[in-house]
Amino acid sequence: MKSSIRRSTRRSRRAAVAVALGSVLALTATACGDNGSGSAGGKGGEGSGKGTITFWDNNGGVRTDVWKEIIADFEKANPDIKVKYVGVPAASVQSKYDTAIQGGGLPDVGGVGTAMLAEIAAQGALEPLDSRLAKSTLNGKLNEKFLDSVKSAGGDGKTYSVPTSANNGTLWYRTDLFSAAQLDPPTTWTKFYAAAGKLTDQAKNRFGYTIRGGEGSIAQALDAMYGQSGITSFWNGDKTTVDDPKNVAALEKYVGLYKKDTPSADVNNDFTKMVAQWDSGTIGMLSHNLGSYADHEKALSGKFKGIPNPTLDDGTRVQVSNPVDGLGLFKVGKNKAAAWKFIEFAASHEANSKWNESAGQVPANNEAAQDAWVQASEPTKLAAEALNGATTKIVQLPYYLPDWNTISKADNEPNFQKVLLGKTTAKEFLGTLADQLDKAQADWKAHH
Amino acid sequence: MITEIAPDTAPVVSGPARPGKRRRAWDEVPRWQIYLPLGSYLLFTLIPFYWILLFALRPAGSTSLVPWPVTFDHFRKVWTERSFATYFTNSVYVGVATLVLTTVVALAGGYALARFDFRLKRGFLLALLCSQFVPGALLLVPLFQIFARLQMINSLGSVIIAETVFQLPLSMILISGFIRNVPYSLEEAAWVDGCNRLTAFRIVVLPLLRPGLIAVGSFAFVHAWNHFLFALMFLSDQSKQTIPVGLNTLMSADSVDLGALAAGGIIAAVPVVIVFAFIQKWLITGFSAGAVKG
Repeated sequence: MKSSIRRSTRRSRRAAVAVALGSVLALTATACGDNGSGSAGGKGGEGSGKGTITFWDNNGGVRTDVWKEIIADFEKANPDIKVKYVGVPAASVQSKYDTAIQGGGLPDVGGVGTAMLAEIAAQGALEPLDSRLAKSTLNGKLNEKFLDSVKSAGGDGKTYSVPTSANNGTLWYRTDLFSAAQLDPPTTWTKFYAAAGKLTDQAKNRFGYTIRGGEGSIAQALDAMYGQSGITSFWNGDKTTVDDPKNVAALEKYVGLYKKDTPSADVNNDFTKMVAQWDSGTIGMLSHNLGSYADHEKALSGKFKGIPNPTLDDGTRVQVSNPVDGLGLFKVGKNKAAAWKFIEFAASHEANSKWNESAGQVPANNEAAQDAWVQASEPTKLAAEALNGATTKIVQLPYYLPDWNTISKADNEPNFQKVLLGKTTAKEFLGTLADQLDKAQADWKAHH
Repeated sequence: MITEIAPDTAPVVSGPARPGKRRRAWDEVPRWQIYLPLGSYLLFTLIPFYWILLFALRPAGSTSLVPWPVTFDHFRKVWTERSFATYFTNSVYVGVATLVLTTVVALAGGYALARFDFRLKRGFLLALLCSQFVPGALLLVPLFQIFARLQMINSLGSVIIAETVFQLPLSMILISGFIRNVPYSLEEAAWVDGCNRLTAFRIVVLPLLRPGLIAVGSFAFVHAWNHFLFALMFLSDQSKQTIPVGLNTLMSADSVDLGALAAGGIIAAVPVVIVFAFIQKWLITGFSAGAVKG
């Protein structure tokens, strides 16, 4: 009796172990298999041009309302197509794309800025759009400079996203403080440095400028550096120009503002702190982009203006390329015909104008760029003129390098802080940066 | 082969009496030497909270250092216009479900670890500990594929399961420590009185585990409440998102509404603060009890 109970206990235990193992193996096998749910290797299709498509907004939250409006307009014009909107927070969009590329669940259409285009395109997730664009109603209606930026960022000269808007570096300045100090607007670098010095009164906690020393500092430093040196190309053959003696001198002068004409806390400034500090303090100037216009308007209405980056004394403006935002079509989409219709609609005159008016950015659609709101919004109008102007030279940053984000963020932001704190020199910093860029460029060339 | 562990013969833990000489020396410490560092630390800790309150309660554009005139516009905006009412409900659902699941499963597993010896028990414990060193981000892709196969993507269930799974190892280890502190003889006495193992556990052991359960449950709730990654990756619909993801959407790539962000932060923090205020006593007892013999 006892032994039969023991046998049955043993049997039930074995059965339990078998069930448990079976479940684990089933789950493991499931995890390893290709579920066809939209990972980068999957095959998509044109589909019927009807049904539901999924759209990921790469700046979800702040732009959700305007996108929902555009989607409603699109669904009204295309009653057979439904768009499922997914707003992804801007700071996490790259991880969300990377996970979906590896694990499945990519959308049909997604917002993709040039800063992340190379990485996503290199993983084979995006469909080249050149032939679709050539046959589209958008052909000839998109800003050529934005298209060039997108092609350059893709890494192989193909168009992996339809540009929708561009941001631009903007020098925001306090008109009330400038008037009180009888200063001219800081339209040239000479006037900029003069104003920074004159507006600073450390005893009264007043500063001429706030510098970006934390996250995102490199692009801003490069903008100031090339803007002053007048060097118009990022590369001289296969070598970068970042450590050119003119750039070194320009960076030394720019970094010299730190603590002299800026708050000492600036060493940790990311854009949030920098904008909050400028909006709530007594600081003469701030370099950011068009995106913070609404924040300034809330805090300093009527007391500020925004102009493109200062020019050299001869009127030449040199600035680094700003990320161009766009819409990408994912290869795995099973309804690409409908997805493409949505992209065409979103980049068309009316929708593109609506989106950019809400975001305060420069429209990629040439007709939208002529709309009345652009002419009425001075910072956007000036940015559009600067971006399209003949006297503006744009230094194209190498967004196509897969290592660009690592080099320009994780690797060198702490080094830039060391320059601000005087622990290393501008020359050493730029030398290290140049070595890393030259190596990344050589690696990239070896594979292209 | 499973064997029960021998009864615990030294159940009561009481600390040694503090020598009188030492107590007098402690009493003679000038008060300022205690309050000054504590006060400085408190100030250092509370200033960021004041900053959040300031931004949440003063009107947009104000540079005042006191929140006056007080406005609740930012709270209204995030609660109604930015869907925080939905995010809040979803977070409560995820937090409470994770708490319940984690506590129940950890209780069963912890009991087994505390009361039975079985083959590979040490290996199992080691595996539990090692699993704590694997960051959740590393497992995102396999988890995503598993949930996709189970058609659980975009369902709160996926987040609840993932959170529970990640909470279980530590919770199980903690609970087993608490159970080991309960004298085995109490259970034996209950058996003698006619209870089976489950009833004895329910009537005798469970009430004694209250501090431990509260500690483990609150830990699971707070972790699930604050965790961002799984909700971001496994959920798509705005109507399914949780508070941490909602907070992130208040910061765009180049613009941030600080008033709304501060108000959202307060909404996110309030339940956690209430939970901790309510359970503080048990939490400290629970952790110290687990620490003594864990």
